[in-house]
Amino acid sequence: MLAMIKRNLLLYFRNWSGVFFSLMGALISFVLYLIFLKLNMLNSWSHVPHATRLLDLWLIGGTLAITGITTTLTSLSQMVIDREKHVTADLQLTDAGPLRLQLSYLLSAAVIGVIMQVAMFAIMLGDFALTDHVTVTISQAINVLGLMVVSALLATTVNAILIQGVRTVTNLSKLGSIVGTAAGFLVGTYIPIGLLPTFAQYLVKLTPGSYVAALYRQLLMDDRLDTIFRHAPVARLNFEKLMGIRLDWSGLLTPSATYHIIGLIFIGAVILTVGPTWAKQYHQRRRLRKQ
Amino acid sequence: MLLEAKHLTKTFGSHVAVNGLNLQIGRGSFTALLGPNGAGKSTTMNLLIGLTTPSLGQVSYADQVKRGVVFQNSVLDERLTVTENLQIRAKQYRHVAKTKVAAVSAELGLTAFAHQQYGTLSGGQKRRVDIARALLNDPDILFLDEPTTGLDIQTRTAIWDLLRHLQRTRELTVVLTTHYLDEADAADSVYIIDHGSLVAAGTATAIKTRYAEDVLQVTSSDVDRLRARLTVAPTECDGNRLIFKLSSPQDALEVLTTNRELITTFEFRPGTMDDAFLALTGREMR
Repeated sequence: MLAMIKRNLLLYFRNWSGVFFSLMGALISFVLYLIFLKLNMLNSWSHVPHATRLLDLWLIGGTLAITGITTTLTSLSQMVIDREKHVTADLQLTDAGPLRLQLSYLLSAAVIGVIMQVAMFAIMLGDFALTDHVTVTISQAINVLGLMVVSALLATTVNAILIQGVRTVTNLSKLGSIVGTAAGFLVGTYIPIGLLPTFAQYLVKLTPGSYVAALYRQLLMDDRLDTIFRHAPVARLNFEKLMGIRLDWSGLLTPSATYHIIGLIFIGAVILTVGPTWAKQYHQRRRLRKQ
Repeated sequence: MLLEAKHLTKTFGSHVAVNGLNLQIGRGSFTALLGPNGAGKSTTMNLLIGLTTPSLGQVSYADQVKRGVVFQNSVLDERLTVTENLQIRAKQYRHVAKTKVAAVSAELGLTAFAHQQYGTLSGGQKRRVDIARALLNDPDILFLDEPTTGLDIQTRTAIWDLLRHLQRTRELTVVLTTHYLDEADAADSVYIIDHGSLVAAGTATAIKTRYAEDVLQVTSSDVDRLRARLTVAPTECDGNRLIFKLSSPQDALEVLTTNRELITTFEFRPGTMDDAFLALTGREMR
Protein backbone atom coordinates (compact mmCIF):
# COMPACT_ATOMS: atom_id res chain seq x y z
CA MET A 1 0.00 0.00 0.00
CA LEU A 2 2.88 2.39 0.83
CA ALA A 3 4.36 1.82 -2.62
CA MET A 4 1.05 2.76 -4.25
CA ILE A 5 0.74 5.87 -2.08
CA LYS A 6 4.26 6.85 -3.08
CA ARG A 7 3.34 6.29 -6.72
CA ASN A 8 0.23 8.46 -6.52
CA LEU A 9 2.16 11.24 -4.78
CA LEU A 10 4.95 11.10 -7.39
CA LEU A 11 2.42 11.20 -10.22
CA TYR A 12 0.66 14.20 -8.70
CA PHE A 13 3.73 16.27 -7.91
CA ARG A 14 5.64 15.44 -11.13
CA ASN A 15 2.79 16.93 -13.14
CA TRP A 16 3.43 20.62 -12.49
CA SER A 17 0.61 21.94 -14.61
CA GLY A 18 -1.72 19.47 -12.89
CA VAL A 19 -0.64 20.78 -9.48
CA PHE A 20 -1.22 24.35 -10.63
CA PHE A 21 -4.65 23.62 -12.07
CA SER A 22 -5.71 21.70 -9.00
CA LEU A 23 -5.06 24.92 -7.06
CA MET A 24 -6.98 27.02 -9.59
CA GLY A 25 -10.16 27.31 -7.51
CA ALA A 26 -8.15 28.40 -4.48
CA LEU A 27 -5.95 30.81 -6.44
CA ILE A 28 -8.99 32.41 -8.06
CA SER A 29 -10.51 32.94 -4.64
CA PHE A 30 -7.28 34.49 -3.36
CA VAL A 31 -6.60 36.70 -6.37
CA LEU A 32 -10.25 37.71 -6.74
CA TYR A 33 -10.17 38.83 -3.14
CA LEU A 34 -6.94 40.77 -3.54
CA ILE A 35 -8.05 42.56 -6.70
CA PHE A 36 -11.80 43.11 -6.30
CA LEU A 37 -13.55 41.82 -3.23
CA LYS A 38 -11.31 43.11 -0.46
CA LEU A 39 -12.02 46.82 -1.06
CA ASN A 40 -15.69 46.19 -1.58
CA MET A 41 -16.10 44.23 1.61
CA LEU A 42 -13.98 46.63 3.61
CA ASN A 43 -16.30 49.45 2.65
CA SER A 44 -19.27 47.65 4.12
CA TRP A 45 -17.31 46.78 7.30
CA SER A 46 -15.58 50.11 7.79
CA HIS A 47 -17.07 50.52 11.25
CA VAL A 48 -15.37 47.32 12.45
CA PRO A 49 -11.88 47.95 13.87
CA HIS A 50 -9.03 46.02 12.18
CA ALA A 51 -11.48 44.93 9.53
CA THR A 52 -8.66 44.23 7.03
CA ARG A 53 -6.95 41.61 9.16
CA LEU A 54 -10.26 40.08 10.08
CA LEU A 55 -11.26 39.75 6.44
CA ASP A 56 -7.83 38.41 5.48
CA LEU A 57 -8.21 35.59 8.01
CA TRP A 58 -11.78 35.00 6.85
CA LEU A 59 -10.54 34.56 3.32
CA ILE A 60 -7.78 32.17 4.39
CA GLY A 61 -10.42 29.94 6.03
CA GLY A 62 -12.58 29.67 2.93
CA THR A 63 -9.66 29.29 0.53
CA LEU A 64 -8.16 26.44 2.55
CA ALA A 65 -11.49 24.62 2.37
CA ILE A 66 -11.52 25.08 -1.44
CA THR A 67 -7.91 23.85 -1.64
CA GLY A 68 -8.85 20.71 0.24
CA ILE A 69 -11.69 19.99 -2.17
CA THR A 70 -9.96 20.64 -5.49
CA THR A 71 -6.56 19.08 -4.77
CA THR A 72 -8.01 15.85 -3.39
CA LEU A 73 -10.26 15.62 -6.43
CA THR A 74 -7.28 15.98 -8.78
CA SER A 75 -5.41 13.29 -6.90
CA LEU A 76 -8.41 10.94 -6.95
CA SER A 77 -8.57 11.39 -10.73
CA GLN A 78 -5.72 8.91 -10.88
CA MET A 79 -8.29 6.26 -9.96
CA VAL A 80 -10.34 6.99 -13.08
CA ILE A 81 -7.24 7.29 -15.28
CA ASP A 82 -6.01 3.93 -14.00
CA ARG A 83 -9.36 2.30 -14.65
CA GLU A 84 -9.43 3.64 -18.21
CA LYS A 85 -5.81 2.69 -18.97
CA HIS A 86 -6.30 -0.86 -17.57
CA VAL A 87 -3.79 -0.17 -14.80
CA THR A 88 -6.48 -1.39 -12.42
CA ALA A 89 -6.67 -4.68 -14.34
CA ASP A 90 -2.90 -5.04 -14.05
CA LEU A 91 -3.00 -4.38 -10.31
CA GLN A 92 -5.93 -6.74 -9.91
CA LEU A 93 -3.57 -9.58 -10.87
CA THR A 94 -1.18 -8.76 -8.02
CA ASP A 95 -1.57 -9.69 -4.36
CA ALA A 96 -2.68 -6.17 -3.43
CA GLY A 97 -6.46 -6.70 -3.42
CA PRO A 98 -9.12 -4.13 -4.30
CA LEU A 99 -9.62 -2.77 -0.78
CA ARG A 100 -5.99 -1.95 -0.15
CA LEU A 101 -5.80 -0.46 -3.61
CA GLN A 102 -8.74 1.83 -3.00
CA LEU A 103 -7.44 2.86 0.41
CA SER A 104 -4.11 3.77 -1.14
CA TYR A 105 -5.87 6.14 -3.58
CA LEU A 106 -7.88 7.69 -0.73
CA LEU A 107 -4.90 8.07 1.60
CA SER A 108 -2.66 9.58 -1.05
CA ALA A 109 -5.42 12.06 -1.93
CA ALA A 110 -5.71 13.01 1.74
CA VAL A 111 -1.93 13.46 2.06
CA ILE A 112 -1.91 15.66 -1.04
CA GLY A 113 -4.86 17.61 0.36
CA VAL A 114 -2.93 18.36 3.55
CA ILE A 115 0.31 19.28 1.78
CA MET A 116 -1.43 21.62 -0.63
CA GLN A 117 -3.42 23.28 2.16
CA VAL A 118 -0.16 23.87 4.06
CA ALA A 119 1.30 25.39 0.90
CA MET A 120 -1.70 27.65 0.29
CA PHE A 121 -1.75 28.64 3.98
CA ALA A 122 1.92 29.64 3.78
CA ILE A 123 1.38 31.62 0.57
CA MET A 124 -1.66 33.49 1.85
CA LEU A 125 -0.33 34.10 5.34
CA GLY A 126 2.99 35.26 3.91
CA ASP A 127 1.27 37.75 1.66
CA PHE A 128 -1.10 39.06 4.34
CA ALA A 129 1.72 39.28 6.89
CA LEU A 130 3.65 41.52 4.53
CA THR A 131 0.76 43.70 3.41
CA ASP A 132 -1.59 43.79 6.39
CA HIS A 133 0.63 42.55 9.25
CA VAL A 134 -1.63 39.56 9.86
CA THR A 135 -0.25 37.04 12.34
CA VAL A 136 -1.42 33.77 13.84
CA THR A 137 -0.37 32.29 17.16
CA ILE A 138 1.44 28.97 17.39
CA SER A 139 -1.58 27.28 18.96
CA GLN A 140 -3.77 28.60 16.13
CA ALA A 141 -1.31 27.25 13.59
CA ILE A 142 -1.33 23.83 15.26
CA ASN A 143 -5.11 23.76 15.36
CA VAL A 144 -5.28 24.82 11.73
CA LEU A 145 -2.90 22.00 10.85
CA GLY A 146 -5.18 19.52 12.61
CA LEU A 147 -8.17 20.91 10.80
CA MET A 148 -6.31 20.54 7.49
CA VAL A 149 -6.19 16.81 8.13
CA VAL A 150 -9.92 16.75 8.89
CA SER A 151 -10.61 18.89 5.84
CA ALA A 152 -8.52 16.65 3.57
CA LEU A 153 -10.12 13.44 4.85
CA LEU A 154 -13.63 14.81 4.47
CA ALA A 155 -13.00 16.23 0.99
CA THR A 156 -11.34 12.97 -0.11
CA THR A 157 -14.23 10.75 0.89
CA VAL A 158 -16.92 13.11 -0.44
CA ASN A 159 -15.03 13.47 -3.74
CA ALA A 160 -14.64 9.70 -3.90
CA ILE A 161 -18.44 9.41 -3.97
CA LEU A 162 -18.61 11.93 -6.81
CA ILE A 163 -15.92 10.12 -8.76
CA GLN A 164 -17.49 6.67 -8.41
CA GLY A 165 -19.85 7.29 -11.31
CA VAL A 166 -17.15 8.68 -13.62
CA ARG A 167 -15.78 6.19 -16.14
CA THR A 168 -13.79 8.30 -18.58
CA VAL A 169 -11.06 10.89 -18.25
CA THR A 170 -13.04 13.30 -20.46
CA ASN A 171 -15.98 13.30 -18.08
CA LEU A 172 -13.57 13.57 -15.21
CA SER A 173 -12.13 16.85 -16.47
CA LYS A 174 -15.68 18.17 -16.89
CA LEU A 175 -16.42 17.24 -13.29
CA GLY A 176 -13.12 18.86 -12.25
CA SER A 177 -14.06 22.20 -13.87
CA ILE A 178 -17.52 22.13 -12.30
CA VAL A 179 -16.18 21.38 -8.83
CA GLY A 180 -13.34 23.87 -9.18
CA THR A 181 -15.71 26.65 -10.19
CA ALA A 182 -18.53 25.79 -7.84
CA ALA A 183 -16.39 25.16 -4.73
CA GLY A 184 -15.70 28.87 -4.18
CA PHE A 185 -19.40 29.68 -4.16
CA LEU A 186 -20.48 26.59 -2.27
CA VAL A 187 -18.19 27.13 0.69
CA GLY A 188 -19.18 30.81 0.73
CA THR A 189 -15.78 32.28 -0.13
CA TYR A 190 -16.43 34.29 -3.30
CA ILE A 191 -19.54 35.79 -1.74
CA PRO A 192 -20.32 35.58 2.02
CA ILE A 193 -23.22 33.22 2.68
CA GLY A 194 -25.33 35.97 4.28
CA LEU A 195 -25.46 37.90 1.02
CA LEU A 196 -26.84 34.94 -0.94
CA PRO A 197 -30.53 34.27 -1.59
CA THR A 198 -32.18 31.66 0.65
CA PHE A 199 -31.97 28.80 -1.85
CA ALA A 200 -28.25 29.38 -2.40
CA GLN A 201 -27.77 29.45 1.35
CA TYR A 202 -29.32 25.97 1.51
CA LEU A 203 -26.89 24.80 -1.16
CA VAL A 204 -23.99 26.15 0.85
CA LYS A 205 -25.24 24.36 3.95
CA LEU A 206 -25.53 21.14 1.93
CA THR A 207 -21.86 21.39 0.97
CA PRO A 208 -19.62 19.52 3.44
CA GLY A 209 -16.75 21.92 2.70
CA SER A 210 -18.64 24.89 4.10
CA TYR A 211 -18.53 23.36 7.59
CA VAL A 212 -14.79 22.99 7.25
CA ALA A 213 -14.56 26.61 6.10
CA ALA A 214 -16.64 27.67 9.11
CA LEU A 215 -14.31 25.85 11.51
CA TYR A 216 -11.23 27.40 9.89
CA ARG A 217 -12.78 30.83 10.29
CA GLN A 218 -13.58 30.15 13.92
CA LEU A 219 -10.05 28.96 14.64
CA LEU A 220 -8.45 31.93 12.95
CA MET A 221 -10.86 34.70 13.89
CA ASP A 222 -12.31 33.86 17.32
CA ASP A 223 -9.78 35.73 19.45
CA ARG A 224 -10.14 38.85 17.32
CA LEU A 225 -13.93 38.63 17.33
CA ASP A 226 -13.80 38.33 21.12
CA THR A 227 -12.05 41.69 21.35
CA ILE A 228 -13.94 43.47 18.64
CA PHE A 229 -17.44 42.42 19.71
CA ARG A 230 -16.76 42.39 23.46
CA HIS A 231 -19.66 44.72 24.13
CA ALA A 232 -21.92 43.74 21.25
CA PRO A 233 -22.78 40.02 21.38
CA VAL A 234 -25.78 40.39 19.06
CA ALA A 235 -23.73 42.16 16.43
CA ARG A 236 -21.20 39.34 16.70
CA LEU A 237 -23.85 36.71 16.03
CA ASN A 238 -25.06 38.64 13.01
CA PHE A 239 -21.49 38.98 11.74
CA GLU A 240 -20.82 35.28 12.23
CA LYS A 241 -24.02 34.33 10.43
CA LEU A 242 -23.44 36.74 7.58
CA MET A 243 -19.84 35.65 6.99
CA GLY A 244 -20.41 31.92 7.45
CA ILE A 245 -18.16 31.75 10.50
CA ARG A 246 -20.89 29.69 12.09
CA LEU A 247 -23.59 28.12 10.00
CA ASP A 248 -27.22 28.52 10.87
CA TRP A 249 -29.37 25.43 11.46
CA SER A 250 -32.26 26.96 13.40
CA GLY A 251 -29.64 28.64 15.55
CA LEU A 252 -25.90 29.02 14.98
CA LEU A 253 -23.95 25.77 15.23
CA THR A 254 -21.39 25.44 18.00
CA PRO A 255 -17.92 24.19 17.04
CA SER A 256 -18.60 20.77 18.51
CA ALA A 257 -21.91 20.50 16.63
CA THR A 258 -20.03 21.41 13.45
CA TYR A 259 -17.42 18.70 14.15
CA HIS A 260 -20.23 16.22 14.72
CA ILE A 261 -21.81 17.06 11.37
CA ILE A 262 -18.44 16.67 9.66
CA GLY A 263 -17.88 13.36 11.45
CA LEU A 264 -21.25 12.01 10.35
CA ILE A 265 -20.72 13.06 6.72
CA PHE A 266 -17.27 11.45 6.82
CA ILE A 267 -18.56 8.15 8.19
CA GLY A 268 -21.41 8.13 5.66
CA ALA A 269 -19.01 8.84 2.80
CA VAL A 270 -16.60 6.13 3.93
CA ILE A 271 -19.43 3.60 4.04
CA LEU A 272 -20.57 4.63 0.56
CA THR A 273 -17.12 4.45 -1.03
CA VAL A 274 -15.21 1.76 0.82
CA GLY A 275 -18.27 -0.36 1.65
CA PRO A 276 -18.92 -1.73 -1.86
CA THR A 277 -15.22 -2.53 -2.38
CA TRP A 278 -15.04 -4.28 0.97
CA ALA A 279 -18.17 -6.32 0.16
CA LYS A 280 -16.73 -7.26 -3.24
CA GLN A 281 -13.45 -8.40 -1.74
CA TYR A 282 -15.24 -10.30 1.02
CA HIS A 283 -17.35 -12.24 -1.48
CA GLN A 284 -14.34 -12.88 -3.72
CA ARG A 285 -12.35 -14.33 -0.83
CA ARG A 286 -15.28 -16.46 0.28
CA ARG A 287 -15.74 -17.83 -3.22
CA LEU A 288 -12.03 -18.65 -3.44
CA ARG A 289 -12.10 -20.42 -0.07
CA LYS A 290 -15.05 -22.54 -1.18
CA GLN A 291 -13.28 -23.68 -4.36
CA MET B 1 -1.94 -29.32 -19.33
CA LEU B 2 -1.08 -26.03 -17.71
CA LEU B 3 -4.23 -24.35 -18.85
CA GLU B 4 -7.40 -25.71 -20.34
CA ALA B 5 -10.50 -23.91 -21.56
CA LYS B 6 -13.70 -25.82 -22.14
CA HIS B 7 -16.68 -24.47 -24.09
CA LEU B 8 -15.55 -20.98 -23.24
CA THR B 9 -18.33 -18.52 -24.06
CA LYS B 10 -18.69 -14.83 -23.42
CA THR B 11 -21.67 -12.73 -24.42
CA PHE B 12 -22.13 -8.99 -24.09
CA GLY B 13 -25.89 -8.44 -24.33
CA SER B 14 -26.92 -10.15 -27.54
CA HIS B 15 -23.40 -10.04 -28.98
CA VAL B 16 -21.45 -13.27 -28.71
CA ALA B 17 -17.80 -12.33 -28.38
CA VAL B 18 -16.45 -15.82 -27.74
CA ASN B 19 -18.40 -18.86 -28.76
CA GLY B 20 -17.71 -22.29 -27.22
CA LEU B 21 -13.93 -22.18 -27.47
CA ASN B 22 -11.85 -25.22 -26.48
CA LEU B 23 -8.15 -24.61 -25.89
CA GLN B 24 -5.34 -26.61 -24.38
CA ILE B 25 -2.06 -25.02 -23.46
CA GLY B 26 0.78 -27.32 -22.42
CA ARG B 27 3.56 -26.40 -20.00
CA GLY B 28 6.45 -24.66 -21.73
CA SER B 29 4.60 -24.27 -25.02
CA PHE B 30 4.37 -21.23 -27.25
CA THR B 31 0.83 -20.50 -28.43
CA ALA B 32 -0.34 -17.83 -30.85
CA LEU B 33 -3.95 -16.68 -31.10
CA LEU B 34 -4.70 -15.20 -34.50
CA GLY B 35 -7.80 -13.53 -35.81
CA PRO B 36 -9.00 -10.42 -37.62
CA ASN B 37 -9.98 -7.25 -35.71
CA GLY B 38 -12.97 -7.90 -33.52
CA ALA B 39 -12.65 -11.69 -33.80
CA GLY B 40 -12.64 -12.06 -30.02
CA LYS B 41 -8.89 -12.46 -29.40
CA SER B 42 -8.64 -9.93 -26.61
CA THR B 43 -11.81 -11.20 -24.94
CA THR B 44 -10.40 -14.73 -25.13
CA MET B 45 -7.18 -13.50 -23.53
CA ASN B 46 -9.05 -11.76 -20.74
CA LEU B 47 -11.06 -14.92 -20.12
CA LEU B 48 -7.92 -17.05 -19.98
CA ILE B 49 -6.16 -14.57 -17.69
CA GLY B 50 -9.19 -14.41 -15.43
CA LEU B 51 -9.92 -10.70 -15.81
CA THR B 52 -13.32 -11.50 -17.33
CA THR B 53 -15.66 -14.18 -16.06
CA PRO B 54 -17.07 -16.43 -18.79
CA SER B 55 -20.83 -16.50 -19.44
CA LEU B 56 -20.53 -20.26 -20.00
CA GLY B 57 -17.80 -22.86 -19.85
CA GLN B 58 -14.70 -22.72 -17.73
CA VAL B 59 -10.99 -22.05 -17.59
CA SER B 60 -8.97 -24.39 -15.42
CA TYR B 61 -5.35 -23.99 -14.43
CA ALA B 62 -2.95 -26.53 -13.03
CA ASP B 63 -2.24 -25.93 -9.33
CA GLN B 64 -0.32 -22.84 -8.20
CA VAL B 65 0.17 -21.29 -11.61
CA LYS B 66 1.53 -17.73 -11.52
CA ARG B 67 0.37 -15.49 -14.33
CA GLY B 68 2.16 -12.60 -15.99
CA VAL B 69 0.41 -10.30 -18.44
CA VAL B 70 1.67 -7.80 -21.00
CA PHE B 71 -1.34 -5.69 -21.90
CA GLN B 72 -1.98 -4.34 -25.37
CA ASN B 73 -1.63 -0.75 -24.18
CA SER B 74 0.98 0.02 -21.62
CA VAL B 75 -0.09 0.03 -17.99
CA LEU B 76 3.05 1.71 -16.65
CA ASP B 77 3.32 5.36 -15.65
CA GLU B 78 4.85 7.74 -18.17
CA ARG B 79 6.15 10.16 -15.56
CA LEU B 80 7.91 7.55 -13.46
CA THR B 81 11.30 6.11 -14.29
CA VAL B 82 11.69 2.49 -15.38
CA THR B 83 13.05 1.47 -11.97
CA GLU B 84 10.35 3.35 -10.08
CA ASN B 85 7.67 1.70 -12.18
CA LEU B 86 9.08 -1.77 -11.65
CA GLN B 87 9.76 -1.28 -7.96
CA ILE B 88 6.24 -0.06 -7.25
CA ARG B 89 4.77 -3.03 -9.09
CA ALA B 90 7.13 -5.47 -7.39
CA LYS B 91 5.90 -4.30 -3.99
CA GLN B 92 2.35 -5.27 -4.92
CA TYR B 93 3.37 -8.92 -4.64
CA ARG B 94 3.90 -10.72 -1.37
CA HIS B 95 6.87 -12.88 -2.31
CA VAL B 96 8.98 -10.82 -4.67
CA ALA B 97 12.58 -10.35 -3.50
CA LYS B 98 14.08 -6.86 -3.22
CA THR B 99 16.75 -7.70 -5.79
CA LYS B 100 14.19 -8.84 -8.36
CA VAL B 101 13.87 -5.50 -10.17
CA ALA B 102 17.63 -5.25 -10.69
CA ALA B 103 17.80 -8.89 -11.84
CA VAL B 104 14.96 -8.56 -14.36
CA SER B 105 16.35 -5.23 -15.61
CA ALA B 106 19.72 -6.83 -16.23
CA GLU B 107 18.20 -9.88 -17.92
CA LEU B 108 16.14 -7.80 -20.32
CA GLY B 109 18.82 -5.17 -20.94
CA LEU B 110 17.05 -2.24 -19.32
CA THR B 111 19.97 -0.98 -17.23
CA ALA B 112 21.06 1.65 -19.76
CA PHE B 113 17.75 3.50 -19.46
CA ALA B 114 16.63 2.36 -16.01
CA HIS B 115 16.61 5.91 -14.65
CA GLN B 116 14.84 7.44 -17.62
CA GLN B 117 11.15 8.29 -17.40
CA TYR B 118 9.06 5.58 -19.05
CA GLY B 119 7.27 8.14 -21.24
CA THR B 120 10.52 9.18 -22.93
CA LEU B 121 11.44 5.65 -24.09
CA SER B 122 11.14 4.33 -27.64
CA GLY B 123 8.40 1.84 -28.52
CA GLY B 124 10.76 -1.14 -28.33
CA GLN B 125 12.28 -0.07 -25.01
CA LYS B 126 8.80 0.43 -23.56
CA ARG B 127 7.81 -3.05 -24.67
CA ARG B 128 10.82 -4.58 -22.98
CA VAL B 129 9.95 -2.76 -19.76
CA ASP B 130 6.36 -4.03 -20.07
CA ILE B 131 7.68 -7.57 -20.40
CA ALA B 132 10.01 -7.02 -17.43
CA ARG B 133 7.02 -5.88 -15.39
CA ALA B 134 5.15 -9.06 -16.32
CA LEU B 135 8.12 -11.20 -15.24
CA LEU B 136 8.44 -9.66 -11.76
CA ASN B 137 6.50 -12.43 -10.01
CA ASP B 138 8.31 -15.21 -11.89
CA PRO B 139 5.22 -16.32 -13.79
CA ASP B 140 4.74 -19.83 -15.12
CA ILE B 141 2.65 -18.51 -17.96
CA LEU B 142 3.06 -15.22 -19.79
CA PHE B 143 0.18 -13.68 -21.74
CA LEU B 144 0.94 -10.99 -24.30
CA ASP B 145 -1.80 -9.09 -26.12
CA GLU B 146 -0.35 -7.92 -29.45
CA PRO B 147 3.14 -7.36 -28.08
CA THR B 148 4.67 -6.33 -31.40
CA THR B 149 1.97 -4.08 -32.86
CA GLY B 150 3.37 -0.75 -34.04
CA LEU B 151 7.00 -1.79 -33.74
CA ASP B 152 9.56 -1.79 -36.56
CA ILE B 153 10.86 -5.06 -37.95
CA GLN B 154 14.15 -4.96 -35.99
CA THR B 155 12.33 -4.43 -32.71
CA ARG B 156 9.75 -7.08 -33.56
CA THR B 157 12.51 -9.59 -34.21
CA ALA B 158 14.26 -8.60 -31.00
CA ILE B 159 11.07 -9.00 -28.96
CA TRP B 160 10.48 -12.40 -30.51
CA ASP B 161 14.03 -13.50 -29.81
CA LEU B 162 13.56 -12.36 -26.24
CA LEU B 163 10.31 -14.30 -25.87
CA ARG B 164 11.82 -17.47 -27.31
CA HIS B 165 14.83 -17.03 -25.05
CA LEU B 166 12.56 -16.66 -22.01
CA GLN B 167 10.56 -19.67 -23.06
CA ARG B 168 13.73 -21.78 -23.25
CA THR B 169 15.61 -20.53 -20.21
CA ARG B 170 12.72 -20.18 -17.80
CA GLU B 171 10.54 -22.93 -19.25
CA LEU B 172 7.96 -20.25 -19.57
CA THR B 173 4.62 -20.94 -21.21
CA VAL B 174 3.83 -18.15 -23.66
CA VAL B 175 0.41 -17.24 -25.04
CA LEU B 176 0.11 -14.26 -27.36
CA THR B 177 -2.15 -12.64 -29.88
CA THR B 178 -0.74 -11.02 -32.97
CA HIS B 179 -1.69 -9.36 -36.23
CA TYR B 180 1.59 -10.25 -37.90
CA LEU B 181 0.82 -13.69 -39.21
CA ASP B 182 4.40 -14.49 -40.17
CA GLU B 183 5.17 -14.35 -36.46
CA ALA B 184 2.91 -17.31 -35.86
CA ASP B 185 5.38 -19.48 -37.83
CA ALA B 186 7.56 -19.53 -34.76
CA ALA B 187 4.79 -20.72 -32.46
CA ASP B 188 4.36 -24.34 -31.34
CA SER B 189 0.63 -24.14 -31.79
CA VAL B 190 -1.65 -21.70 -33.50
CA TYR B 191 -5.32 -21.06 -32.90
CA ILE B 192 -7.19 -19.05 -35.51
CA ILE B 193 -10.31 -17.42 -34.15
CA ASP B 194 -13.05 -15.71 -36.12
CA HIS B 195 -16.41 -14.43 -34.95
CA GLY B 196 -15.57 -15.80 -31.52
CA SER B 197 -15.21 -19.38 -32.74
CA LEU B 198 -12.19 -21.52 -33.42
CA VAL B 199 -11.72 -21.97 -37.18
CA ALA B 200 -8.38 -23.78 -37.19
CA ALA B 201 -5.85 -25.14 -34.73
CA GLY B 202 -2.49 -26.89 -34.98
CA THR B 203 1.10 -26.12 -35.82
CA ALA B 204 1.79 -23.29 -38.25
CA THR B 205 3.09 -25.78 -40.82
CA ALA B 206 0.02 -28.00 -40.57
CA ILE B 207 -2.32 -25.05 -40.96
CA LYS B 208 -0.40 -23.76 -43.97
CA THR B 209 -0.34 -27.17 -45.64
CA ARG B 210 -4.02 -27.61 -45.12
CA TYR B 211 -5.38 -24.16 -45.87
CA ALA B 212 -2.77 -22.21 -47.85
CA GLU B 213 -2.31 -22.89 -51.55
CA ASP B 214 1.02 -22.41 -53.30
CA VAL B 215 1.08 -19.72 -55.94
CA LEU B 216 2.75 -20.15 -59.32
CA GLN B 217 3.01 -17.25 -61.71
CA VAL B 218 4.31 -17.72 -65.25
CA THR B 219 4.72 -15.45 -68.27
CA SER B 220 4.64 -16.86 -71.73
CA SER B 221 5.34 -15.60 -75.26
CA ASP B 222 2.41 -17.65 -76.54
CA VAL B 223 -0.29 -17.68 -73.91
CA ASP B 224 -2.93 -19.30 -76.12
CA ARG B 225 -0.75 -22.29 -76.99
CA LEU B 226 0.26 -22.69 -73.38
CA ARG B 227 -3.36 -22.60 -72.21
CA ALA B 228 -4.31 -25.27 -74.73
CA ARG B 229 -1.64 -27.62 -73.40
CA LEU B 230 -2.39 -27.12 -69.68
CA THR B 231 -3.91 -29.88 -67.57
CA VAL B 232 -4.43 -27.54 -64.61
CA ALA B 233 -6.62 -24.47 -65.17
CA PRO B 234 -5.06 -21.14 -64.14
CA THR B 235 -7.03 -19.09 -61.60
CA GLU B 236 -6.16 -15.81 -63.23
CA CYS B 237 -5.02 -14.66 -66.68
CA ASP B 238 -3.66 -11.18 -67.22
CA GLY B 239 -2.14 -10.41 -70.66
CA ASN B 240 0.77 -12.81 -71.05
CA ARG B 241 0.75 -13.71 -67.37
CA LEU B 242 -0.96 -16.77 -65.84
CA ILE B 243 -1.47 -17.40 -62.13
CA PHE B 244 -2.08 -20.84 -60.64
CA LYS B 245 -3.15 -21.78 -57.13
CA LEU B 246 -1.76 -25.25 -56.45
CA SER B 247 -1.89 -27.62 -53.52
CA SER B 248 1.76 -28.71 -53.68
CA PRO B 249 5.13 -27.70 -55.16
CA GLN B 250 5.06 -30.97 -57.19
CA ASP B 251 2.10 -29.66 -59.18
CA ALA B 252 4.05 -26.50 -59.94
CA LEU B 253 7.05 -28.51 -61.15
CA GLU B 254 4.75 -30.50 -63.38
CA VAL B 255 3.40 -27.35 -65.05
CA LEU B 256 6.87 -25.90 -65.46
CA THR B 257 8.64 -28.98 -66.83
CA THR B 258 5.99 -30.05 -69.29
CA ASN B 259 5.73 -26.54 -70.79
CA ARG B 260 9.30 -25.29 -70.39
CA GLU B 261 9.74 -24.11 -73.98
CA LEU B 262 6.63 -21.90 -73.77
CA ILE B 263 7.53 -20.24 -70.46
CA THR B 264 9.68 -17.10 -70.45
CA THR B 265 9.74 -16.36 -66.69
CA PHE B 266 8.16 -17.85 -63.62
CA GLU B 267 7.78 -17.24 -59.92
CA PHE B 268 6.84 -19.77 -57.27
CA ARG B 269 5.72 -18.84 -53.77
CA PRO B 270 4.76 -21.44 -51.17
CA GLY B 271 1.53 -20.78 -49.28
CA THR B 272 1.98 -18.41 -46.33
CA MET B 273 0.10 -17.95 -43.10
CA ASP B 274 -1.51 -14.89 -44.73
CA ASP B 275 -2.99 -17.15 -47.45
CA ALA B 276 -4.29 -19.64 -44.89
CA PHE B 277 -5.69 -16.83 -42.83
CA LEU B 278 -7.51 -15.24 -45.77
CA ALA B 279 -8.81 -18.64 -46.87
CA LEU B 280 -10.19 -19.19 -43.37
CA THR B 281 -11.51 -15.77 -42.47
CA GLY B 282 -12.38 -14.26 -45.85
CA ARG B 283 -11.35 -11.00 -47.49
CA GLU B 284 -14.04 -8.87 -45.96
CA MET B 285 -12.86 -6.00 -43.74
CA ARG B 286 -14.08 -5.89 -40.17
